[in-house]
Amino acid sequence: MSIRLGIENVAWRVGGRAVLSGVSLEVGEGEVVAVMGRNGAGKSTLLDIVAGLRQSTGGVVRFNDRPAADWSPRERARLIAHLPQAVRPDLPFLACELVLMGRYPHTDRWFESDEDRAAVERAMRRTDCWGLRDRLVQTLSGGERQRVLLAACFAQSPQLLLLDEPSSHLDIDQQLHCFSLLREERERGVACLAVTHDLNLALTYATRIIVLAEGGVALDVPVEEASQRTDWLHLFSPRLTLSTTASGRSWVAYE
Amino acid sequence: MTTAPRHSGQWLWIFAAAFCAAALLLPFIGPFGLDFGRVRAREEPDWSILIQLRLSRTLLGLCAGGALSLAGSLFQAMLRDALATPYTLGISAGASLGAVVAIWLGLQQIAGMPAIWMAALAGAAVVLALVVGGALQQRRVSAFSLLLTGLAANSMCSALIIVVYGLVSPTKSFSMTRWLIGSIDSVDYTALAGFVAMIALSAAIVMRQARSWNLMAVDPSWAATRGAHLNRLMLSGFGAGSVLTAATVALTGPIGFVGLVVPHVIRTRIGADHRVLMPCAFLGGGVLLAGCDAIGRVIVAPSEIPAGAVMAILGGPYLVWVLRQRSAL
Repeated sequence: MSIRLGIENVAWRVGGRAVLSGVSLEVGEGEVVAVMGRNGAGKSTLLDIVAGLRQSTGGVVRFNDRPAADWSPRERARLIAHLPQAVRPDLPFLACELVLMGRYPHTDRWFESDEDRAAVERAMRRTDCWGLRDRLVQTLSGGERQRVLLAACFAQSPQLLLLDEPSSHLDIDQQLHCFSLLREERERGVACLAVTHDLNLALTYATRIIVLAEGGVALDVPVEEASQRTDWLHLFSPRLTLSTTASGRSWVAYE
Repeated sequence: MTTAPRHSGQWLWIFAAAFCAAALLLPFIGPFGLDFGRVRAREEPDWSILIQLRLSRTLLGLCAGGALSLAGSLFQAMLRDALATPYTLGISAGASLGAVVAIWLGLQQIAGMPAIWMAALAGAAVVLALVVGGALQQRRVSAFSLLLTGLAANSMCSALIIVVYGLVSPTKSFSMTRWLIGSIDSVDYTALAGFVAMIALSAAIVMRQARSWNLMAVDPSWAATRGAHLNRLMLSGFGAGSVLTAATVALTGPIGFVGLVVPHVIRTRIGADHRVLMPCAFLGGGVLLAGCDAIGRVIVAPSEIPAGAVMAILGGPYLVWVLRQRSAL
């Protein structure tokens, strides 16, 4: 199974304000796209629209050339996993129960099979949270919860990952680990859209950088090009410069 | 806090055993001591008291408690609030208003059935239509809009009940008070069979979707991105939950706390997996309500305390304790 995501002229207006007005882009398999932009630029809105959580007020989203509206919720859930910014269940679910829910679109069995359980264990080991499996989700720290939610996305075995700030709450080492997992998923043909505010994580791990500003796509370039240019940094702040580390990597520094 | 791995299946068997034991043993509890030998020989009056009065009453208690407790666990998942009850959405307030109006007008029978039952069902149906209609105005049925319309329905019905109260004689207002506390009384087997059929059907609809309630209890968008049909799920849950609540309230009056206490206690013991929680809540709620009814009929014999009052006396302090635990978090 492969994935091709097409976003054509997507718009989203709320209360007379156009959050998105005419966003178009195509994402193919194996791409790790960093979706960036300032607060309120519509990054989460764009991900929500692709995930089917919001109805766009204009334009069309296609998966494998088929309009999103023609996919049943279940078909869509087998193809796409969405990591929300925050999930705070009030009821006492265990971490492993939350990850098991990722298997929902794949089976009609009343209780999950051993195969499902194996997928859950694999996913939780990858995001380094297998040790948390019997903890109540309510008692996890922000970073621990984030790893559990990411495991739930991996357990869903999607072709397209939509991650809304996957590295928030994570310590530096876990942030690096999280993004290197996205590179691993890339090897398996999975496409990924990750919202992040960390320019250096994006330059290091993404294959492509998209910046949203004023309701549209202000920049859409491969990461190699982004690390050569400096004209896009003003989209975030006038106080950024691009420098080079000792190992030859491009690095965004603050002034 | 670490919880041991759950062996949920065994809980189901424990609750099922308690349910069967309650059905068999509770009919023998009552102010009039039954002689086992006379019952075996089917001698009167022991045999009639057991079968006509106590058994039907116990079965009603088991099903009513089960229905309320299941509806409680359903609404807690749908609204993602551990303190939601079958009454949060105003269904029972509507039923109560219907019953109070029937008592006020002195109606005895509607279409061959006791007037209070029919009026209670009609009241619940009106509120159901109003709340669903209100929530459907938006394209999506959200928990929040259901809660708000339910709140409005609840306070409107309570106000109207007070208005009716002011219009009636003391005798009638006494029977209204009595009905509003909620009690389990003996019913004839035809009515009981109809009630059990309604409860069984809606309980099956609710429990069949237990996997989806798990998703829903986390977050609606969590459910949607895992392939659940959100609107279909909310409507069928609200519909089946309302039937569970309305049918029960029509027969017993609004018995409080069972829908709150039972799912909550069971969740703290066996966790939030609705595939196990929901059947256990049904069985446990039935045992608790039938048990409270049995306590109520012996503790101040020869007079009786209604099961609703026994539940409230036990449930009130528990609710305070739950609230204290919550604020400590």
